[in-house]
Amino acid sequence: MPALANIQQAMRQAIVAGVSSDLDALFTGGKEPRKRLEIHRRHYEASLVKAMLEKFPATTWLVGSAYLSDGARQYIREYPPQDPCIAAYGATFPQYLALCPGSDRLPYLQAFAELEWHVGQVSIAIDYPAIPIEELAAVGIDTLPATVLTLQPGTRYLHAGWPVDELMRYFLTDTAPDQLEFEPSGVWLEIRGARGEFRINRLEEADFLFRKAIWEGLPIGVVAERLLEFAAAFEAGKALAGIVSAGLVAKLAVQGDCQ
Amino acid sequence: MRTEVAITMTTIQEIQRFAGIGLRLPHIAEVVATRPPVGWLEIHPENFLANPHAMELLLELAEQYPISVHTVGISVGSVCGIDREHLKQLRSLVEKINPILVSGHLAWSTQGEAYLNDLLPIPYNEESLQLAAKHIREVQEHLGRPYLIENPSSYLGFETSTMRETEFLSELVERTNCRLLCDVSNVYLSSHNLGYDAYEYIDRFPAGAVAELHLGGFTPEEDSAAPGDEIWVDTHECAVADGAWELYAYTIRKFGVVPTLIEWDSNIPPLATLLKETARAKAIVAGAVSVEACHAGSC
Repeated sequence: MPALANIQQAMRQAIVAGVSSDLDALFTGGKEPRKRLEIHRRHYEASLVKAMLEKFPATTWLVGSAYLSDGARQYIREYPPQDPCIAAYGATFPQYLALCPGSDRLPYLQAFAELEWHVGQVSIAIDYPAIPIEELAAVGIDTLPATVLTLQPGTRYLHAGWPVDELMRYFLTDTAPDQLEFEPSGVWLEIRGARGEFRINRLEEADFLFRKAIWEGLPIGVVAERLLEFAAAFEAGKALAGIVSAGLVAKLAVQGDCQ
Repeated sequence: MRTEVAITMTTIQEIQRFAGIGLRLPHIAEVVATRPPVGWLEIHPENFLANPHAMELLLELAEQYPISVHTVGISVGSVCGIDREHLKQLRSLVEKINPILVSGHLAWSTQGEAYLNDLLPIPYNEESLQLAAKHIREVQEHLGRPYLIENPSSYLGFETSTMRETEFLSELVERTNCRLLCDVSNVYLSSHNLGYDAYEYIDRFPAGAVAELHLGGFTPEEDSAAPGDEIWVDTHECAVADGAWELYAYTIRKFGVVPTLIEWDSNIPPLATLLKETARAKAIVAGAVSVEACHAGSC
């Protein structure tokens, strides 16, 4: 008599990977009960493929629903969700999709799908009251380098080797031309959103690096040094004032300060 | 340790004559904007925990509507145990919205690190019973309140089962003091798929532990192993079947008036369609109440 652990292992193999060799004697119900397990396998596949199509409508527009569905089917087989909150599932799908056969014809596919993932994530975020510039100004010169800023939750940064934001605009406005000469060109994007809305801003490379480093939680001093190495003329103070006045900073704390 | 039943009885009494609806994300903005006349709302916490905007709207609705929390990710039947991080998040949500009920399924959905996004069946035997009871106790202790367990929709059974589903549920109640959520549509569907009498199932169901009822639609499909026969699939993508409504009326007469929820999870219709379904439930409840009153000599 198989133990429950073995039954669940065999059922997982059947549902996720479609491997069902050891199941004949397990089930009852109907003329061929094992075939009824197919209902669960189909649900696993259909519900998650649907979830991916809903998360990546722009990518589906770009590659077609058959291609995206095929990629999603393979992805959910190799990388099943690990969390019951399906809204959080699929962060690595852009990378996976870009390795699927045929994707080499679209070298911007991964970046485009990553942009769409970020758009989806910031759109369900909420923002907090932004700190006023006076709060930053009140930080002493000695403690400023150790100060860490927390940006609004609905903020993401993406560097792409192709102008994928243009493609996204075509999708969102339904204005895609019949033919498009799409050339590689680096873009540094800031994706901001909250409560169902979003926008995509292009940044200069230095400003992008500055904001992304702040977003990663590095202290202001470390970020400033890094940017000065990148561009000696970089004005860290101006960049700092810029993110505060843009309402991007939700919290300010001095590193090592428990308060 | 046994968790004492501490359901907010006043609120339950207030809502039990009104059917609730499953609050799904496509309806949430409309519900926030129009505040429809519905007795209560039930949510799947998994739709809100990773969606801060939806959570914010839910907290707003929780100020006006009684909310019931119906989990799909607490895998009480899983050999691998319960996802404690998920349970922690669930507790945090429960503390925020103080729901009238918290429920989940007699099922498993995790194996190893994989979440299988479905409610999978378990054999009904002592091994499963001990496992499910252990996990239900863990959930109740963590949440500090009773957990309702829902009977599953079934397509297959197990050779290793040694007891009926109703016996299994009765034992769970006995061992954990949990409450039960009787999904009438699941009974109707499973009785068709597995060939038993749905009314006898209701007769055997531990009525004293029932704290909530569910109704949802199913989709008939041809049984690939038996051409010409149908298998009914629990899709929640259409209206409740007439046969399930008849079984519901019988269930209400048997169990008394219990909060009832209309579930609709796929091909989600306009909100008005769901409200129409709740009106049908309300009419059946009203009929049952008037029959009871007549039996008591007040008509």
